Amino acid sequence: MKRARRRRQVGLHLFLLAVLSLTLLPLLFVINNSLRTNSELNHSFFGVPKAASEGVQITADRVEGKARFDVSESSDKGAKIDHVGYGAAMRTIGRRLADGYSYAWEILRPYTLNTILVCLATVLGVVAFGSISAYIFSKCRFPGRGVLFIAILSFMMIPGVLTLVPSFMLVKRLGLLNSHWVLILPYVAGGQVFAIFLFKGFFDGLPGELFESARMDGAGHFRLYWNLVLPLSRPVIAVVAIVNVLGTWNNFLWPFITNSDAKYHVISSGLYLMGQSTVSANYATMFAAYVLSSIPLLVLFLYATKPFMAGVTSGAFKA
Amino acid sequence: MLTPTLALLAVFSLVPFLWAFATSFYDYEVGSDAHFVGLSNYSEYLHDPTLVVSLKNLLFLTVAGIVVVMTAPLIVAKSIFSLHSERARYLYRVLFLIPVVVPGVATLMIWQGMIYGDAGFLNELLRLVGRGDLTRGWLTDPRSVLWAIVFIGFPFAGGINILIYYAGLAGIPDSVHEAASLDGAKGLRKFLAIDVPLVLSQIKLLTILTVIGTIQGFEGMFILTRGGPGFKSMVPGLWMYMNAFTFQRMGYACAIGVLLFLLILGLTILNLKYFRSSEELTAEAA
Repeated sequence: MKRARRRRQVGLHLFLLAVLSLTLLPLLFVINNSLRTNSELNHSFFGVPKAASEGVQITADRVEGKARFDVSESSDKGAKIDHVGYGAAMRTIGRRLADGYSYAWEILRPYTLNTILVCLATVLGVVAFGSISAYIFSKCRFPGRGVLFIAILSFMMIPGVLTLVPSFMLVKRLGLLNSHWVLILPYVAGGQVFAIFLFKGFFDGLPGELFESARMDGAGHFRLYWNLVLPLSRPVIAVVAIVNVLGTWNNFLWPFITNSDAKYHVISSGLYLMGQSTVSANYATMFAAYVLSSIPLLVLFLYATKPFMAGVTSGAFKA
Repeated sequence: MLTPTLALLAVFSLVPFLWAFATSFYDYEVGSDAHFVGLSNYSEYLHDPTLVVSLKNLLFLTVAGIVVVMTAPLIVAKSIFSLHSERARYLYRVLFLIPVVVPGVATLMIWQGMIYGDAGFLNELLRLVGRGDLTRGWLTDPRSVLWAIVFIGFPFAGGINILIYYAGLAGIPDSVHEAASLDGAKGLRKFLAIDVPLVLSQIKLLTILTVIGTIQGFEGMFILTRGGPGFKSMVPGLWMYMNAFTFQRMGYACAIGVLLFLLILGLTILNLKYFRSSEELTAEAA
């Protein structure tokens, strides 16, 4: 009985590991290919980076007592072969491996900064307006409150495909094209609705005595909101923030159509334009760009996995 | 203090919403005057050469999307949930989340070039095993293009869907499992009879999101195929986009957008009316 259960656990692990490796396989190939030159890739899709294997070979030679090593500076330009010491050889190897990355970062850096700026502004706006409005709907009484709340929520029903074209005509007429505002303002407008929904649900669930005792002490709405409600809402803020960062980070079409000026491109539209430009002929640069564009969210997730999972698991996501 | 919220909604949500309907009744090309044409944009779309193939593709992609979202992530979530070790369960959930950090555009471009490209993973793998005769431009061959689009993201296990199912499975009370075991339910039968009905609300949520997402979504087709070869992978959303931003026909594009909105609205109402969540089913049973 016990052995059968152990076997079942092992089977589950094997199954999960198989699915996991299939899931991550493309990413491993991207990383591997980002370290290989065009001629290596054209020669064979499968294989380890030549520079890396040369590095291993040189290190092995050094262990055996060799002092000078042959290393080629740029394998695409070909001919130039240096006969140098270990440190210089390894530096050349490193330069060759980082080749795609240094070029890709040069192109992606402004896009990355734009994306981070837009993400921060969007999250700030969504959390601020979302929580303030939710607080008002949850804790203040005024005529028409219920109707207005439903009216705001009903905006969630409007699909983006309907408003894409008129939204473009609108921001064009407002003169917002080619700016950060053309992204931030519509993102905040759309994102705050779901935030209001989540925040209000959370605020409604806070015990009423908490507010009464604070009010007895003479706290006004602003103090209640700032000193009591906001600090308690950190899990909701985390979910709202991550949902909006993910949305902003991945939105491609809107930045693509509203920003013709390369200065304002974000990562998504920038990557696409990279793929359309002559840069794409250099495979390593493109693959390096995919890796680099994934790092910011990877860092975010390293910090935010726990609250994010708690938020998703809390049951906000069901119909 | 509600002013910022209401002002932003009015300008950036309400105005485009109303404007979409209004524009759909006009023949409006950028740079020239708008003429009122009544319903003729709508009747033109009913005779549009892309309409039939677009709807067929939409149906295919929607059905495929529903099948995918109802199987792979649920099976993986159930497998993770069945592990005894708490740490292993957490680790797997984190590892399956990794693909989320890759920008969507990058994922599409990786599949387009690295997997489906002429000298990409799939073709090279076929050559390696001696089936070079099967190689093709997966996204340019009319026979394979739709399947190639559907299979992007295989094995469909990365991402947030697993977490949503996992949360549903974790919400099933232990007493239910104990009672089922006492009744002799085991393995697959127990999974189908106990787990699946009790995560129905998650299945329902992900299905609705998939359907709405597929009807709206054309980013993938825009980046991968531009609807090609020919109109082989055209969808209504992409045709709307092309009419607006390639042919500058804003009125016609808005009419297509309105029709897609009505389709989504209709499906949402149907869903609210005819499909009940597991909570409601549980409440009725109690």
